[in-house]
Amino acid sequence: MQQISVIARQTFKEAVRNKILFVFIILGLTTICCSVFMPVVGDGREKIKIVESMCFRSITFFGTLAAILLSASSIPTDIENRVLSTVTTKPVQRTTIILGKIIGFIYIIGVELIVMGGVSYALIKFTALKQSLQGNSELVAREQFDPDTLQITGESTRKIGNVSWIEGGGKGSSVWKFKGLYSKDRNDDLEIKADFLVESKKRFSLNIPINIKIINPGTGKVLTESIEISRNKPDLLRLSGESLDGSGELTVVVSPENSGDYIGINSDSLRVFFGKKSFGYNFLKGLTIISFQFFLMVIIAVLGSTFLSLPVNILFCLFVFFCGNITDFMRDLSTVINVFETHEHEHGLSVLMKKSNVFMILLDYVIRKPILLLSYILPDLRNFGVGKYFMDGINIPCKTVFMSFGYAVLYTFFCLPISFVIFKRREMA
Amino acid sequence: MNNDIAIETEDLTKAYKSFWGRRKILALDKLNITIQKGEIFGLLGPNGSGKTTTLKLLLGLISPTEGRAYVLGKSTNDVAIKSKIGFLPEESCFYRFLNADETLDFYGQLFRIPGKERKLRINRLVEQVGLEFARKRPLRQYSKGMLRRIGIAQALINDPDLVILDEPTSGLDPIGTKETKDIILALKERGKTVLLCSHLLSDVQDICDRVAILDKGKLQLAGTIDELLSSKNVVEVLIRNLPDEAIIEVETFIKEKKGEVISIRNSSGTLEDLFLKIYAANISNSKADV
Repeated sequence: MQQISVIARQTFKEAVRNKILFVFIILGLTTICCSVFMPVVGDGREKIKIVESMCFRSITFFGTLAAILLSASSIPTDIENRVLSTVTTKPVQRTTIILGKIIGFIYIIGVELIVMGGVSYALIKFTALKQSLQGNSELVAREQFDPDTLQITGESTRKIGNVSWIEGGGKGSSVWKFKGLYSKDRNDDLEIKADFLVESKKRFSLNIPINIKIINPGTGKVLTESIEISRNKPDLLRLSGESLDGSGELTVVVSPENSGDYIGINSDSLRVFFGKKSFGYNFLKGLTIISFQFFLMVIIAVLGSTFLSLPVNILFCLFVFFCGNITDFMRDLSTVINVFETHEHEHGLSVLMKKSNVFMILLDYVIRKPILLLSYILPDLRNFGVGKYFMDGINIPCKTVFMSFGYAVLYTFFCLPISFVIFKRREMA
Repeated sequence: MNNDIAIETEDLTKAYKSFWGRRKILALDKLNITIQKGEIFGLLGPNGSGKTTTLKLLLGLISPTEGRAYVLGKSTNDVAIKSKIGFLPEESCFYRFLNADETLDFYGQLFRIPGKERKLRINRLVEQVGLEFARKRPLRQYSKGMLRRIGIAQALINDPDLVILDEPTSGLDPIGTKETKDIILALKERGKTVLLCSHLLSDVQDICDRVAILDKGKLQLAGTIDELLSSKNVVEVLIRNLPDEAIIEVETFIKEKKGEVISIRNSSGTLEDLFLKIYAANISNSKADV
């Protein structure tokens, strides 16, 4: 443990004395501070959104860049300069060197995160204060509730992938049940956010009318709304929190109004927001999740540095970072490559069909399957994306924090032993 | 294994492979050497003869293709045995942003030397290698000779039983060379084993008990300096204050006895002797001025 700490301190000292740490911090802070001067169209909430978005993007980008460049370069540089040849002649296990380096990188990234996070928090608070003085907006972290159950009824229900399609005209409906809807302040607004896919036999129709029935199972009160929803554009329905009558339960029934109109839904398509949490606590949770991403990138960079040269390792890490942010796109791309032609099913919805030929088989093995495999092997960095929570003013569920921690730990357990084995076998020529 | 043996190799072989896994270079070919505890052993050879490869194999930095090596009775893969070894690499490779004190402290901590003891050793070693004037200066500002000195200091920070020195006098001025040789001889006096590798033959000849000569990865010769250099049918006589007539008489006498005189010349000494003589005189003059 003493040796790990010695190597960790050494790694930190190196980053400080080489001034690399300061470069990343200064660049990050410059971008963060620039967010205040960004022109905004809209109300005060939009201004806060811009500042929040810029802050989190800057922290994520410069933090990840620092994590990659520092941890990807340290071991290869030490090997190239033969410093590690001297260190490994001392009674130090090679695993100790790896662990020491990783902890050193965590110190470095931690300092960067604290400085950039602190400045960001102050800036967001300042912006929010300025806006609230003008009566525009305030910082919020609304509590989000996912449905407890989702039932789909009706004859013409079809399922394509994880999306269930429901036809209107009384032929089908979706029933969401929510439980545990409690807030400290019962006067808080209760918001229902619907994010559906929309199809219609009327090919040029972008909007379709839907019926939303909101039932309070405790009191039996029913509220019916009819709204128009757009293709892939979320809609928001706002109710008074008092309508719950303290029962904490809500049932929402959604169905398209007209026959020939379809809505595509999955379990995430309808959410309820009720109650507010502390913004500071939410901000801290956001930073914690980002720090897990940095940690994951450090682990991957260290793994690469045990067998790759410096430039190749940096490229490898940037590739992982880039692909890790577009894993969904990679999976979609592999599906698109799999498509040869499309045709329409009987309800007018587009269906993807495949037809084999030599070219398709070649494409399948050379591009599609490797892309698909990569999308599953590489870490899905969207698991660490917190920008969307702050943009929408949503409280980050503790479950998300633990999930992202678990995800980073899972990769660590996978990557670290490989790093140990490779580095142990590596010759310090 | 015999407790008096510091290093033993058995058919130690190292072949470097190409990218495709084919054998490319045979850096060391079936080396068999035994180094006794307490002796100064020199490994000689031209560039690329396998000296540094041997040291790296002994330190476990690289793995042998064939054969085995034992250091202080243990396998070279044994990390714990490294606490009894001091190593000076061929090129002084250290963290350049650290100063001399920090460098020695870093390596001292890796050896888990307690704080107070570490501080004492650092002070003693910095003084011993003559770096007191630059102990707070970052190593990136050091000359090659100064880096060599700090390298020697870090090799001795753990008071090792076995000291492995790769080209210890490379880059040092004659005074530094002399001081290094003195340090090595002092280590021997304290019962330490020293394995040094060099291509500067005079250095090796001055201090080594035994030497091994490598060429193209193969052991060519091994033995004591006397064994290797003595020539049974050649006699060397050094005479002081002999007049010229007497020299002619000696030469005539040898011819009468059917001996062959190879050369008669005035003894010249070495440039190193001359340099050290001048340096010593300057030192005593400056002391007298004070």
